[in-house]
Amino acid sequence: MNFALIRRAGIYLFLSVAAFLSVFPFYWMAIGATNKSIDITTGQMTPGNNLVANFQSLAAQVDLVRIFGNSFLIAIISTILTLAVSSIAGYSFEMFRSRVRERIFQLLLLLLSIPFAALMVPLFVMISRASLTNTFMAVILPTIASIFIIFYFRQATKAFPGELRDAARVDGLKEWQIFLFVYLPTMRSTYAAATIIVFMNAWNNYLWPLIVLQTPDNKTITLVISALTAAYAPDFGVILLATVLATLPTLVIFFVLQRQFVQGMLGAVK
Amino acid sequence: MSSLKLKGVRKAFGTLEVIKGVDLDINAREFVVFVGPSGCGKSTLLRMIAGLESITSGDIEIGGKRVNDADPSKRGIAMVFQSYALYPHMTVRDNMGFALRFAGKPKDEIARQVGEAARILELEPLLDRLPRELSGGQRQRVAIGRAIVRHPEVFLFDEPLSNLDAELRVHMRIELARLHRELKTTMIYVTHDQVEAMTLADKIVVLRGGEVAQVGSPLQLYDDPDNHFVAGFIGSPRMNFLEAEVLDAGNGSFTAQLVNHPGVRLTKTLTGKLPAKGDRITIGVRPEHFGEPGQGIADLSLTVDVAEHLGSTTFIYANTATPEQLIVEREERHAGESDTLVVSIPAETSLVFDSAGKRLR
Repeated sequence: MNFALIRRAGIYLFLSVAAFLSVFPFYWMAIGATNKSIDITTGQMTPGNNLVANFQSLAAQVDLVRIFGNSFLIAIISTILTLAVSSIAGYSFEMFRSRVRERIFQLLLLLLSIPFAALMVPLFVMISRASLTNTFMAVILPTIASIFIIFYFRQATKAFPGELRDAARVDGLKEWQIFLFVYLPTMRSTYAAATIIVFMNAWNNYLWPLIVLQTPDNKTITLVISALTAAYAPDFGVILLATVLATLPTLVIFFVLQRQFVQGMLGAVK
Repeated sequence: MSSLKLKGVRKAFGTLEVIKGVDLDINAREFVVFVGPSGCGKSTLLRMIAGLESITSGDIEIGGKRVNDADPSKRGIAMVFQSYALYPHMTVRDNMGFALRFAGKPKDEIARQVGEAARILELEPLLDRLPRELSGGQRQRVAIGRAIVRHPEVFLFDEPLSNLDAELRVHMRIELARLHRELKTTMIYVTHDQVEAMTLADKIVVLRGGEVAQVGSPLQLYDDPDNHFVAGFIGSPRMNFLEAEVLDAGNGSFTAQLVNHPGVRLTKTLTGKLPAKGDRITIGVRPEHFGEPGQGIADLSLTVDVAEHLGSTTFIYANTATPEQLIVEREERHAGESDTLVVSIPAETSLVFDSAGKRLR
């Protein structure tokens, strides 16, 4: 038997199992959204005909427009502000020479190791003192200066040609204009990849909104799904339908920006 | 079309001084080439003129105005970069008109100027393409076009041809020479390629270790270098250097013995200062200047190592009894490996350098 063939078969088997493990939860979630709760618990794996009933039940329990509106508003503002602040920071860290630059950057990276659980209480005290509890800004503000995204932009900026900045300076652009009119369009794929990461994090954010958003009107979709599971007799069909709906925006964004995402992750500047 | 003056220009990064006081006068409409080995500070000096690098001390004047603290865009310069530095998200048209747009020029004026530059550089069919859709040579032409539309007083080129293949480089070199003739503008060009320097320049500035080694016309530097470094740097293949020890000096001439050719003595006349007895000197001879045996001031017996037959000429790489290798240019095509070749050191065209590398004339 040919060794190369066995090796190839092994690789295919491994990749098939990995693909199955990745895709199966999505399949189960989508199938579950069309079935009754009892069918799901008995392990039905084929599409059912309860989708409309599940939707009606979900719509009766949750103000879908408002909740999705909240989630979108928070995720979009959070994404825009995070990208703006963190990309400027990443660009500056890479472009401007300073004696303390590396020290500050190392300090930032060190902060990355502090778990969120340790920050929760002081953060809540700050938000509370600023009278921001139960507002969207309470959810958005702590996410804006993302150390990971600053780090990501700094690394990506290493591939940004210095001569492009020089050319822009000779062409008469001020530093902020270079950032806006040369750097930003050149780094499109980096921004696309960062958009997916930041939007997904903001959209899926659970723990912090749970703490600072207190009235039902202000809840986000992740909090609502969690609340649905907390019922005395949870309806799994409804829960899975809500989960499907909550997954859709991130999927759409990923597929729209997929090509740039891959380029951005590879750090390509063309 | 401005003149440019550098007065005692220095640049230091911390304690490391990379430009050590450069004084230079560049006349209007002159094509000046900065040439030198890697790390000699030629690009840094160009960037200092452009305003992309601050100067530690000294003055830079463009058109009689001191521009030390002026913004790059206010100096009346345009720069062409080694990597072309075209904005990747803009078409050729937008790339070329970008600076004018930021200078607040009206749209029809921008279109007119871009059209004019595109015509000069034959870029008209490419105006709506993105840089990634262009070849290396086309990108370089766009980069030059972007500089032209600004109607600068001084053009700055930072090794603009080094990313092109050999054939295209020759083509673009000719284009640049034509452009200089048409635009009649002051141009400063940085390169490490001395062939580019020789073919393009009205004036060459040879830099070494952050200092000017010599300034002059290409042939002046070739025929009459001030020092060992310039003599070795200008010319391809390079000049041959023969170590010698002075045996006697006086009455306007000296006699020396070649260190690596025992028994070979030569006597040479100088008009200036003579070396002293016992001094170590270097005799420089260009490959094409070696004469027939008996016609010069001393004969050398060589063994042919490799002969490069280029058709019109032949470069013979010849070994002596020592590890020293000499290059001899000959028109004949018959030289072969291990042949013995006897050549003479010419009386007129051989050059003498003292132990510090300074030319003795």
